[in-house]
Amino acid sequence: MTSLAMARRRATAARVWGQFRRSRQGMIGLGVLAVFALVALAAPLLADVRDLNPVFARAEGNAQWASPFDHPPLGTDYIRRSVWAQFVWGSRVSLFVGLAATVLTVLIGSVIGIVAGYLGGRSDGALMRVTEWFLVIPFLPLAIVLASVLGRSVWIIIFVIGITSWPSTARLVRAQVLTVKQRLFVDRARSLGAKGSHIVAHHVLPNVSGLILANATLAVPISILTETTLSFLGLGDPSSASWGKTLEEAFVNGAMVRNAWWYFIPAGFGILVVVLAFTLIGRTLEEIANPRLSRAR
Amino acid sequence: MLGSLLTLVFVLVFNFFLFRVVQTDPIGSLFRGRNVPQEVLDELRDEFGLDESQLTQFAYYVRETAQLNFGISYQSRQPVWDEIVSAVPATVTLVGISSILSAVIGTIGGIVAAWRRNTWKDHSITSGTMVFYSMPDFWLGMILLVIFAVVLGWFPVGGMVDIGSTETGLARLLDQAHHLFLPALTLTLAYLGEYTLVTRSSLLDVMGEDYLTVARAKGLRDAMVRNRHAVPNALLPVVTLAAINLGFVLSGAIAVEAVYSWPGLGKATADAIRGPDLPMLQGLFLLFSAAVILFNLLADLTYAWLDPRVEGA
Amino acid sequence: MSEPLLSVRDLHITYATHDGSRVPAVRGVSFEIDAGGSMGLAGESGCGKSTLANSLLRLLPVGTEVTGEVVLGGKNVLSLNPGGLRAVRWTSGAIVFQGALHALNPVQAVGRQIAEPMLVHDTASSEQAARRRTVELLGRVGLPGARADSYPHELSGGQRQRVLIAMALACDPLLLIADEPTTALDLMVQAQVLALLDELKQERNLTLLFITHDLSVLTYACQRLAIMYAGRIVEEGPSWEVFGEAAHPYTRGLAAAFPTIGDLSSRMAPAGLAGDPPTPGNLPQGCPFNPRCPLAQDGCRDAEPELRIAGPERRAACILV
Repeated sequence: MTSLAMARRRATAARVWGQFRRSRQGMIGLGVLAVFALVALAAPLLADVRDLNPVFARAEGNAQWASPFDHPPLGTDYIRRSVWAQFVWGSRVSLFVGLAATVLTVLIGSVIGIVAGYLGGRSDGALMRVTEWFLVIPFLPLAIVLASVLGRSVWIIIFVIGITSWPSTARLVRAQVLTVKQRLFVDRARSLGAKGSHIVAHHVLPNVSGLILANATLAVPISILTETTLSFLGLGDPSSASWGKTLEEAFVNGAMVRNAWWYFIPAGFGILVVVLAFTLIGRTLEEIANPRLSRAR
Repeated sequence: MLGSLLTLVFVLVFNFFLFRVVQTDPIGSLFRGRNVPQEVLDELRDEFGLDESQLTQFAYYVRETAQLNFGISYQSRQPVWDEIVSAVPATVTLVGISSILSAVIGTIGGIVAAWRRNTWKDHSITSGTMVFYSMPDFWLGMILLVIFAVVLGWFPVGGMVDIGSTETGLARLLDQAHHLFLPALTLTLAYLGEYTLVTRSSLLDVMGEDYLTVARAKGLRDAMVRNRHAVPNALLPVVTLAAINLGFVLSGAIAVEAVYSWPGLGKATADAIRGPDLPMLQGLFLLFSAAVILFNLLADLTYAWLDPRVEGA
Repeated sequence: MSEPLLSVRDLHITYATHDGSRVPAVRGVSFEIDAGGSMGLAGESGCGKSTLANSLLRLLPVGTEVTGEVVLGGKNVLSLNPGGLRAVRWTSGAIVFQGALHALNPVQAVGRQIAEPMLVHDTASSEQAARRRTVELLGRVGLPGARADSYPHELSGGQRQRVLIAMALACDPLLLIADEPTTALDLMVQAQVLALLDELKQERNLTLLFITHDLSVLTYACQRLAIMYAGRIVEEGPSWEVFGEAAHPYTRGLAAAFPTIGDLSSRMAPAGLAGDPPTPGNLPQGCPFNPRCPLAQDGCRDAEPELRIAGPERRAACILV
């Protein structure tokens, strides 16, 4: 990339950041997300990972179902493990799966959207048919079916979410690519003899990337909520401790009937807050990419 | 129309091949743990054509599906179709009522939020629904269950009727309604957000239109301008949304039904996952997909009928 | 001489924008129209004429500051309570809006929209009576009665404009305000619409306020002409006089910008106005026209000129008058 192009990229990034900083909803979202990212990254410092091991927990002399008053900060579960440790370490899994699944979703969706939009004609028609099929099939049942058949591991969950969520990204990206294609400079580039790949990389992508970023940020909540639901239904990775898994164990082992609120409230609350944070950030990015939206809102 | 049919075909194909990946020996799985003589197994395999090519098996599958024969559930040993049919009324009741409530309440909320844009009413409605929309619906269910059923004891902890109840008629209906309350509340709160957001943004678009100024110029009261001119134009996307959501009536409450042990298709799915009861999952998936495809088609037709600007279907 | 039907005195209109700044769109406008008279209001985009038109029935967005007096049929519209205001709307004064697709509700038949004010103001005794009157009005504007059941998107631009005229007449208003009724129509249709407005005015002794940027249209349709620039009236007088012998340099520029049909020389050498009108929030020092004025002098930048007498029943705001 030429230095001129790099300078332009940097200027755009600076401008976007400047606008983002001025948005209250955006900064709140970013702040909250930063807190949780820190919690996830600093997990080893915040909670002993051995607290997740029931044998260790027993050895420590923990009680079962201890309330936060008896066992601060968040009490214990049915096999004496610290709920706080589960919350802290669970944030890692939930955030990781949410982000990874979103990356997969956006990758597949963008590639298909760009190819369909740029090539047009029969390829476009065929790809759009496939996209419509996926859009019509109910998303959660499809995910359930795939996960049931393929097995229970973190990577399979990531794969399943990615494979079922890409259609809306593809549709959005394709629409944007079509708009970009209309613009003269693509024709000019072609008449200058530029190859398709060059046009895509240097003209289509920069104009579509803002939209992709906003869409990706809004897709993370869906990925996180889907992982949570799949884990709750028992399709999660048995060896990893995501927030969804915590909710499943709480439910299956009767936390509700015992009113062990400390067991299931934190995990759900974590999901709620992280999802809200991503939603706020995503809406802000959307408004920056499309200023009409902020006036309309 | 043709598109919908093709999608259905695609779903059938997908359903068939996906489960074949795992079901290497369906007959063996069916009689897991039971002592059945080899000749019987071989005979059954032959009867089900399991020694034939994939294509022939697929043909059998299509034929069986058309005859509503979805196989036998691993867990209950009953025909999948029977299990599904008996679970449908409970789900339709729960999700149907929740859908109607959330559509009505959500739309009204969206109208108020848009008409009183940027006031505290707008902010509280928008923020409130965003919060409910951002939480896992079954988590909300768990919280409501603990507060109102476990701690306060106002509502039962699960199921559709009191266990061992022999009541009939009105008493039974009231009992069911009593059990229905919390799950319906959960789903309504969870679904509200979508309607509020869509209605609000649609009405905001309409509010900028000239014909509203014209209506005011004619001497109409503010409420009349809103109800006679703004809202009818704003409702078009909302109606489409509602029609599409109808398609999800059957599959919309899987986790929530599990939390409340509500004996519908959702709970059946949750139970089938724990098997894994593959024939059940296959049948349920087919049903869920068919419902969505059908209602998407209806949604398109409804929109065309409501908006005089759209040509036919 | 009886009271004028419409009397506007020292009208100031200031918009509040979403970022908090205040934009003065109309800065002290006064004029009168006698009953049965017709006045044209001309100016380029942004001069405030549409704002002015909407303010006469208080149709501006909430939060807009309006001061002064607008006396219509003996009542000051600006000081009416909401009920009084609603009663006056459409019955004392009605607006014929620009007939783009957006002035009519797309999901309602046009007949219903014409009949609506009749039912709201009780000028029709029943729905059937309203329907009869709607068909009558449609006939009067040259459309078949069957058109009452059409939707706006099914009509052509010219037909929609006629519907808007019929709608404006629904409650027999005293004053008809036509806000750019012929913009967006092609010339043939424009002529038809103008002719129609003229006929209706004669028949019903309507008072007409005609707003447009097209000067040539106004000289045909109106007795008096007022030219607006940067939120103020800069020239006013009998229309042929103002158009033919403009006292204000801006009017001269505007009149010259329209070629005279049949005059080859005007086609070959168009004499338009250089530059753009000023943005309402950012007016030049002194006379707002001085940056574009071919006759600008030093004194023009000192202070904004008031309207001075430039002839019998004529005024112009220029130090050269």
